[in-house]
Amino acid sequence: MAETASRRRITIDPVTRLEGHGRIEIFLDEQGAVDRAYFQVPELRGFEKFAQGRPAEDMPQITSRICGVCPTAHHMASTKALDALYQVEPPPAAKKIRELIYSTFMIEDHALHFYFLGGPDFIVGPQAPPAERNVLGVIARVGAETGRKVIAMRRKLRDLIALAGGKPAHPVFGLPGGVAKPLSKDDQQQFRSVAEEAVGFAQFTLELFGKLVLENSNYLELILSETFTHRTYYMGLVDERNRVNFYDGAIRVVTPEGHRYARFGAGEYLDYIAERVEPWSYMKFCYLKPVGWRGFTDGAESGVYCVAPLARLNAAEELATPLAQQAYAHYMATLGRPVHHTLANHWARLIELLYAAERMKQLADDPEICSPHVRTLPSTTPHEGVGVVEAPRGTLIHHYRTDARGIIQQANLIVATQNNAARISLSVEQAARRLISGREVSEGLLNMVEMAFRAYDPCLGCATHSLPGSMPLWVQVRDHRGRPLSTLRRDSDGTIRRQ
Amino acid sequence: MEPSAASERLRVRLLGLGNELLADDAFGLLVAERAATWFPGLEVARSSEAGLALLDHFMGASRLIIVDTLQTGKFAPGTLRLLGSAELQAPPGGSLHGAGLWEAWQLARHLGFGAPDEVFIVAVEPADCSTVGGRMHPDVEAAIPEALRRIGALLEGSR
Repeated sequence: MAETASRRRITIDPVTRLEGHGRIEIFLDEQGAVDRAYFQVPELRGFEKFAQGRPAEDMPQITSRICGVCPTAHHMASTKALDALYQVEPPPAAKKIRELIYSTFMIEDHALHFYFLGGPDFIVGPQAPPAERNVLGVIARVGAETGRKVIAMRRKLRDLIALAGGKPAHPVFGLPGGVAKPLSKDDQQQFRSVAEEAVGFAQFTLELFGKLVLENSNYLELILSETFTHRTYYMGLVDERNRVNFYDGAIRVVTPEGHRYARFGAGEYLDYIAERVEPWSYMKFCYLKPVGWRGFTDGAESGVYCVAPLARLNAAEELATPLAQQAYAHYMATLGRPVHHTLANHWARLIELLYAAERMKQLADDPEICSPHVRTLPSTTPHEGVGVVEAPRGTLIHHYRTDARGIIQQANLIVATQNNAARISLSVEQAARRLISGREVSEGLLNMVEMAFRAYDPCLGCATHSLPGSMPLWVQVRDHRGRPLSTLRRDSDGTIRRQ
Repeated sequence: MEPSAASERLRVRLLGLGNELLADDAFGLLVAERAATWFPGLEVARSSEAGLALLDHFMGASRLIIVDTLQTGKFAPGTLRLLGSAELQAPPGGSLHGAGLWEAWQLARHLGFGAPDEVFIVAVEPADCSTVGGRMHPDVEAAIPEALRRIGALLEGSR
């Protein structure tokens, strides 16, 4: 293709496993301006084949072991897919226990993200020297006491997950039609006490965000800047009253103007979500099927959509808990509905943190949660089932087809980052267009692109570990024949060197 | 866990990281499993989690030996490397995704959770860590005994 041949290509490729092999491809035209930029998430290979021939009942354990970042989300989506597969409705107490454990998991994940992953951007600041933009910089700003508070909170939440659901890394509580064990009164008491504390912790964190970010006009300007703004569709799970729900409900989609576009059950996802494979990538980009694919572009004509906190708050009409609803109203009044600013994800995440804590408390206070009836035994012949949850990073779908014995014949997963991939590419492209000219790549590009990454919190191919090397990032500029023109590498002290 | 005072004795912990479902990524877990037999009395932990989920493993140990895969593309599969604390560094400007071992270590250290002063990493170059249900590369599998020998040498040095 002539058009392709005239492009130069820049690749930002984290070479260590810390970043999980995420890769940014930037194509330049003959004049050296950015033509297109893409974000690639490497997909795990062979999952479908691996799943085939295995009992569907093993999937909640298998899928949760694949991902070292959000095992609980996979476990839950998989368990719900089994409910659908065996057409069993879990008893009310089982649903509540599941959502209680899930809320506990969401609090832990969201809190850690804000302090230690998003923190370098907003607590330390985008202008701070790269060497300070890390967890130590965060601790230096918020104080060791707050740091210890976060770690202590995390410990309590994880202990509770272990108490009710098995080790956080290997949850085992979900079974088709229910959960493995009822919640004892003692366990309930522990959940209640930690939930109470978690609500206070979430309020404290939102206040901190208000002080550090919302009162800083530079940050606000950055959040509102066009560099980080895209007018796309938004998707998220909602309850019967269109309120955010992480565990269950219908998938709701709103237009870039914020109007209802669709509302559908998990089983109908294939009518709404299509996946596109680009010739240059091995990953799939999701888009809204009825709208259609118009390329990597935003607007009502483009099927590109967004998931995760920003999208969930847009896709819903309100939140189900009082304090979070107040925070939500303030957020919408400040930024306008729907919120199109990618960096507002950080704010949205904290509102969800408060919601999750309040929801945890509601569920823990519910006397029915200690009911011994936590399982409906499956009695039908399995055929097909779809399960969906909101993972911290967005809508997560598990879909299995089995034979009559419940042996997997086909399995499909749509993970959160796949839903977001097209929009993340838009963000990369927008940042790149503003910063790249010719063959030179500025450090500003790396920072801006990374900030967009972190706001989405992309889960890179369910990558597991994590040994940082001495070359965390490199950018390669290639000519149209793929020959490297120059290599830019950023060393661990933050200096940029050209080779 | 409460912040501990200076440890009374050297407490060495071995942490095998990896994922047994992902081909060569099983390496760290397999080495840790055998280490538990090879080195009686050694505190051994295994984890398939990532980033800050590993925080607990950095708490209450005076020396930590980590075994994991480290994909650089610069070495043949099965090549072992021993990295020290100096090589465990912060990704400048923050990591693109998640926080890693360095962050977990530093948090444990700076918040007073009795984190190790020294961390060693026995890293193997993998061929493939992303095929679900994939087989281990024979050269990676063959590196397991040598990894155990290197751990033995590190333990000798810790006495």
